Amino acid sequence: MKYAFYPGCVAKGGCPELYSAACKVAEKLDIELEEMSDVACTGAGCMPTQLSDPINARTFAKAEQMGLPIMTICSTCQGVFSQANHRLQDAEYREEINREYLAEEGLSYQGTTEVKHMLWVLFEDYGIEKLKALIERPLNGLRVSPFYGCFLRRPGNIMVPTKDVGARRGYLEDLTQILGAENVDISGKTKCCGFPILTANEEASLGMVAKHAGESSQKGADCMVTPCPLCHLNLDGNQPRAEGQTGEKIDLPIIHLPQLVGLALGFNTDEMQLGRHIVSTKAVNDKVDMLT
Amino acid sequence: MEVTYKVHRKDPENGGESSYSTYQVELPEDATVLDGLQKIRDEQDDTLAFRASCCQGSCGECAVRINYKAQFTCTTRIGDVTKKAPEILLDPVRNIPVIKDLVFDMDRFTWNKMAAMKPWMEPDDEFAPTENLVPESEMADVRKTMSCHACSLCDEGCAVLPVNFDFLGPAAMVKGYRFVMDPRETGAKMEARMKVVEQPQGLWDCVHCYEADGKCPRGLTPSSKIMEIRDVAFKEGIKHEKVGRHHASFINSVKQTGWLDERKLVMETEGMTNVTGLMKLLPTAVRALRRGKMPGRHEKRPGADQIKRILEKAEDSK
Repeated sequence: MKYAFYPGCVAKGGCPELYSAACKVAEKLDIELEEMSDVACTGAGCMPTQLSDPINARTFAKAEQMGLPIMTICSTCQGVFSQANHRLQDAEYREEINREYLAEEGLSYQGTTEVKHMLWVLFEDYGIEKLKALIERPLNGLRVSPFYGCFLRRPGNIMVPTKDVGARRGYLEDLTQILGAENVDISGKTKCCGFPILTANEEASLGMVAKHAGESSQKGADCMVTPCPLCHLNLDGNQPRAEGQTGEKIDLPIIHLPQLVGLALGFNTDEMQLGRHIVSTKAVNDKVDMLT
Repeated sequence: MEVTYKVHRKDPENGGESSYSTYQVELPEDATVLDGLQKIRDEQDDTLAFRASCCQGSCGECAVRINYKAQFTCTTRIGDVTKKAPEILLDPVRNIPVIKDLVFDMDRFTWNKMAAMKPWMEPDDEFAPTENLVPESEMADVRKTMSCHACSLCDEGCAVLPVNFDFLGPAAMVKGYRFVMDPRETGAKMEARMKVVEQPQGLWDCVHCYEADGKCPRGLTPSSKIMEIRDVAFKEGIKHEKVGRHHASFINSVKQTGWLDERKLVMETEGMTNVTGLMKLLPTAVRALRRGKMPGRHEKRPGADQIKRILEKAEDSK
């Protein structure tokens, strides 16, 4: 199994532990990753589609040349890619982008590149039975709140397009249980983490952090797991500020998806770089160490 | 058939605590949920408060949550609900203050927020001697959004409203869309219109989570409409200063290096001369530095020149 690996800006910037964990997990699972190092940021919803569609078409065309599907580890990258790829299925629009922007570089996107988040790859390509067989340390007793955020779930017609992939709605809960951990369900698990309005309305953004992480903490979770590094940045990095805003302690570690998988595959907490999180992961470390 | 109704109750004159009342009602299978509510009020409990008006799915007055899903009572058939659940559980729509039982405060919520969008057109020449004709092709999409009957069901699932009640919400933004896309407002009028939709608690307070798409009984897609307004805002020049700096920094970063310089983005968003704003970032920066999360040196990527060429050409084609 081989993918054109698109880590995204955050995994190469503010969340280096995500990049490292994803690479280690992929290697252990024998998933070969060829990193796309000469392609652009997706635009992350901060660019109008008029700007982001041409640069994303370029990325898809490069993957097409490599003859590989793209694997992402960021829900925001995945969401922007999926929506762009959906628009680029319109042959007339695609040809216009090819002609206006890609031809000069000798590129042309034919519309065939498949883009999948690592969570989808594990279920739809790799196979859960194969993953189960490689679990060395079932995370028994670890209480985990799955948190999807927005972009891996919506718009529904693009992110969960057919009945065949309807199960995508439950992948994170299923994976948590397969890894041996216990699900701690929270009401806002498919809601926004607040990151996109950090600029325009910091108070509301931090209010969302307090709402989601606070509910999880109150329900007795040891940590939250998320497939999105932007959710991680807000829920982890801004948790101290959210606590300051509400005056209530939350103290909930926010774990990246590949880190949780990695712990169950036998990597230790140092190898998964849990020490790089803003909120101390000591409670998780202690439980995982006891399982060793 | 005998149907069990379990209905949310809240009476401000009686303490205002939420509770549920249960009623058994005899109804034909093709009766609507509203028929049952009216029968309960006529025959069993005349204190039960709910709203309804047109009884044909046009006015949006009777919006409630039926077994956790926001719908109209007047167009939802008993048989369709009881096929999936043994009882009919009725709650008021979420995110909106409840006045009594199933009745929510439409003034504070829907109408005040709609009014904030200045929902009237200000054509370039108000006193033009002739009719202000526009081609059908430019109005088709605008006209679709005119079918919004302000039922607030798109606001019901909004992720922002539970933490920020003052956010104008998707329903008001759809109203904004109707005027932003109307070709009869241009130039200074368009400039003023964009300031209205970009007001505090408006366009940039939406998290674009796409939660509101799929909620509209008219089949409108409020989240997608908000994204279309954002695209217009980019073209017209973003009016919200801080958001404008954020987007400019983001695009410049990708143009210069092919990818996002997070450190620079955070500082340029605050404003490089905004000492107070920059100082506020310090505790987070120190925490990130201590944990090894501060992004390292930002290198230009291979392919960056091609990316820059594409972005500049796309900007020129505005």
